[in-house]
Order: sequence, then C-alpha cells, then structure tokens
Amino acid sequence: MTGAGTAIWGVGTSAFGKQTSLGGPRLAWQATVEALDDAGLQASDIDAVYAGTVFGDPGTVTRCLQQIGIVEVPVITIENACASGTSAFHEARESVEMGRYERVLAFGIETMTAHFDGAISPIASDPDGAQGYAMPSIYGMSATRYKYEFGVTDEQMAEVAVKNRRHAMGNPRAQHHKTVTVEQVLGSRMVADPITLFQCCSIADAAAAAVVGPLGGSRDPSGEVAIRSSALRSGRLWDHTTDKVWGWDIVSDTAARAYEEAGVSVGDIDVFEVHDAFTIGEIITTEALGLCELGEGGRLVESGHTSLGGLQPVNPSGGLLSRGHPLGATGLAQIAEIVWQLRDMAADRQVPGARLGAVETMGGGTAGIDGNACVVTVLEQVG
Amino acid sequence: MPSLITTPPERADADPRPELAIHEGRVLLTGSRCGDCGYPQAVNPPRCPICGSHSIAPATFGPKGTVFSSTVLRIPVPDRTPPFTLAYVDVDEGPRILAHVDGPDEALVPGSEVVLSGWSEHGDPVVRRSGP
Ligand SMILES: [Zn+2]
Repeated sequence: MTGAGTAIWGVGTSAFGKQTSLGGPRLAWQATVEALDDAGLQASDIDAVYAGTVFGDPGTVTRCLQQIGIVEVPVITIENACASGTSAFHEARESVEMGRYERVLAFGIETMTAHFDGAISPIASDPDGAQGYAMPSIYGMSATRYKYEFGVTDEQMAEVAVKNRRHAMGNPRAQHHKTVTVEQVLGSRMVADPITLFQCCSIADAAAAAVVGPLGGSRDPSGEVAIRSSALRSGRLWDHTTDKVWGWDIVSDTAARAYEEAGVSVGDIDVFEVHDAFTIGEIITTEALGLCELGEGGRLVESGHTSLGGLQPVNPSGGLLSRGHPLGATGLAQIAEIVWQLRDMAADRQVPGARLGAVETMGGGTAGIDGNACVVTVLEQVG
Repeated sequence: MPSLITTPPERADADPRPELAIHEGRVLLTGSRCGDCGYPQAVNPPRCPICGSHSIAPATFGPKGTVFSSTVLRIPVPDRTPPFTLAYVDVDEGPRILAHVDGPDEALVPGSEVVLSGWSEHGDPVVRRSGP
C-alpha cells in the first residue's frame, strides 16, 4: 500500500474562540483559503474533501466550501466525536497513499456556541449519557481513580492547565491568553470532583484545514511535512475486566501502531499535540503515549519534561485547554500546530530544532467502550 | 440525591440505562451471561462480543458491587438539578455499570462496597454504600 509517501502541503486555521456571529462559512473560508495558499493551490486543484464535524447541521461542509470554489468533488463528512478532524485527516492521507486522489483537503469545523451555552449535553440514547453523565464527569471519574490508585495530586493536575495556558501566551489564535496559577486553577469552581473549571476546555467556534498530497509533489516541496504514519481505531470494550481508566488503552494501542508504522519510538519525537480536553486527560495520554510509565503522568508534568523548554514539550499551542475544543476543528488545529513547529514557524512557542512531531486525538461519549476513536499521526520535517 | 424510589418505574423499551428489577425483595441488575465464555453484560444481545457465541442467556447480577470510581457532577445538565453523585460499579460476578449514588454529595472512594438499592426520580439505577 505504501508508495512514495504522503505529505502535508499546507495548513490553515481560523482563530479559536466564542465567535457565534461569524458563522460556519466565514470560519471555514479563513482556514481553507490559508491552507490552499500555504499549499500553493487553487480551490479547483482539490480532488476530494474529507471533513470532520460533530454537531454541524446536515450539509455543513458543502455549505461552507462552495463559495470559495470547492465544488464538483467528492465531499465525505466523518463523525468520530473529538477525533473527527483527525479522522478526516487520516482518511485523506489514506486516500492519497492508496492513489485514489492526489490533492485532498482535510477539513474540520464546529460552531459550538450555536448549540450549547456551556458543557455539551449528555447523549440521551447512551446508557451513561441517559443518566446525565456529562463529559466532565467522565474525566472526574478518571481523576478520582488516579488519585486513589497512583496518588496523583490536585496540584499535578492543575499544573497541566498552568503549563498549557502559559504556552498559549505565544499562540495568537488561542481563545485564552491569560496565565493561571495552581492556586487559581484549584480555586475555580468544582465541575466534576475533583476537576475544577480551569481544568476543563471551553467550547469554541473554529475551523481548521490541511492539504494532503504525494510527498515531493507540491510546487515547493521544501515546505512539505512528511506524514510518517497515521493510525485510527475504536477502543476495546471498557468493562469490569479492566483496572485501566477509560481511554488509556485506546491511546496506547493506537500510538503503538503509529510508532511501528513510522519506525520510530516515543523517545525520537520532539514535540506533541495531545488531547487535553481536561487536565487529567493529558496526564493519562502522556502515559499511554509512552512518555512515562503507567501512573507517572502526574510527576511527568511536574518535572517540566513536557513544558516548552523541557525535553519533549506537549501542547506548545496551549492545547484544548487554551484553544477551546470545537470538536471537528480540534484535530486539524493540532496538525497545523505540529506543521508550524516542524517548519520552525511557531515563533514564541517554537520548540527549537523540532524534526519529528506527533498528534493524538481521542474521542468518547459512548458507554462501555474505551473511546469512540483515537488517531495518532507522526509527522516529520522534510527539508 | 433528593429521593430514592424502591418500586420499579415505568420503563420505555428504548431506555438505554441499566435495568434493575426486584427479586425476592432484593434489587438486582438484569442482563445476560454468555453460555460459553461466561461474559456478563447489562444488555442481552444476540451474540457474545468476546467469543461470538449465540448462547446468551438472561441473567441477574448483584445486589452487591464494588466502586471502580466516582465523581460528583456539579454543573447543570438538561432535566436534572446538580449536584449529583455518580459511580462506576463492578456488580458482583457481573458487568460494570454507571449508577447514581444515594448519599451525601461526595465521591465514593474506589474499592468501596455498594449495594443496588433502587431508582432515582428520573429512573436511573441507584446504589448506596453498604460497607463502613
Ligand atoms: Zn462468550
């Protein structure tokens, strides 16, 4: 299946924030036109679109892309919860890899303030959701378990928010541009014990996009970022037989597959964008990605290893905790960040000398399974 | 949690929540067990997700269980008034289910012993602490 390889030719995003008045199409135009310009392409050069959106109305993607001239092509919309954007990216890459299309737009969008005032409503058709089990409570469960089983502290969890909000000071497109202290994080109101408000990502409206094509095939191949691997899978059953918190195994399994395909180990990777929808999520994810042993994620963030200036920075963009989490757009914003990092374009939040980067997105909301979907992709600087 | 209901509420066929029933005065979880590999579930599907067997028989579980983890949700969700306490419970010899907790608004410590005790005013399965 693997040919000469695939690459990201260009990326773009809108700003991230509560911007209801902009509406979907204008957010989409900002992201898509930036990605096309970055790739040196016209809209008419695009062969196909894979898009991720979760709460979007029927027809959202074609409604957003038609006026900028992306028409008369296959447009395929994917819903994979929080991993919808990276799932679209995964399929875009797969389609180029297999020779089905040559220049593919991976696109993600969410206009969440049009649907929610605060937290996402629980899914009424789900065994857990029907009990009022909102997303923060999923992570509250994990945090309670981690405090009990591994002695993770409230301060260690808060440190994730402190770190990511500090990183976002260098990201003009983030929603939050204000540093917070451990005391402020722990003093914010309790949402789902022991998770406080500043440990939860905000909702947001945004779009993000990437153009995927054959490696070396763009007008300026020196700007390409190689896609060394991409893995996508749903979780195992999450049941009485496991002592792992929800979401640990799916990230570990998906990462193992992505590292294997790329022929790299976690120690080779210079920079990560991961799914920090809630602080405990980043702690669990860094463990599952192999940055530390099971149960050591709290100490890892405390050590500074994952801070800008540390050995393997995680979420230099500020992550979901700073951007907010417009579900369909999030994964492609993570991809865009790693592309900018690998091109040495990330300015005040640049990880010096980054050559290899990884993106992880994990989506849930379905009872009984260890995650609806997880994507891990490994990207490499070409030049 | 304002009130515990101890008689089975009316339940729609499509209700996805774990179903409790009263047997000989005890509140039990209804579901199924695989006749070949023994895998327990809170639902009764036509095939076992573990071994593929078609021999799935209805079963009941409980009333005791052990808390895997717990939290208190303190933000509003549609039709419910916060705060309310939730727990993942590994029902003895049975599956792991989510349930509401009858008691103070504080998360249960993982490993706590609980007993299935009835329904919330919304028809959710409810457990309460049984150990010290
Ligand atoms: Zn079986």
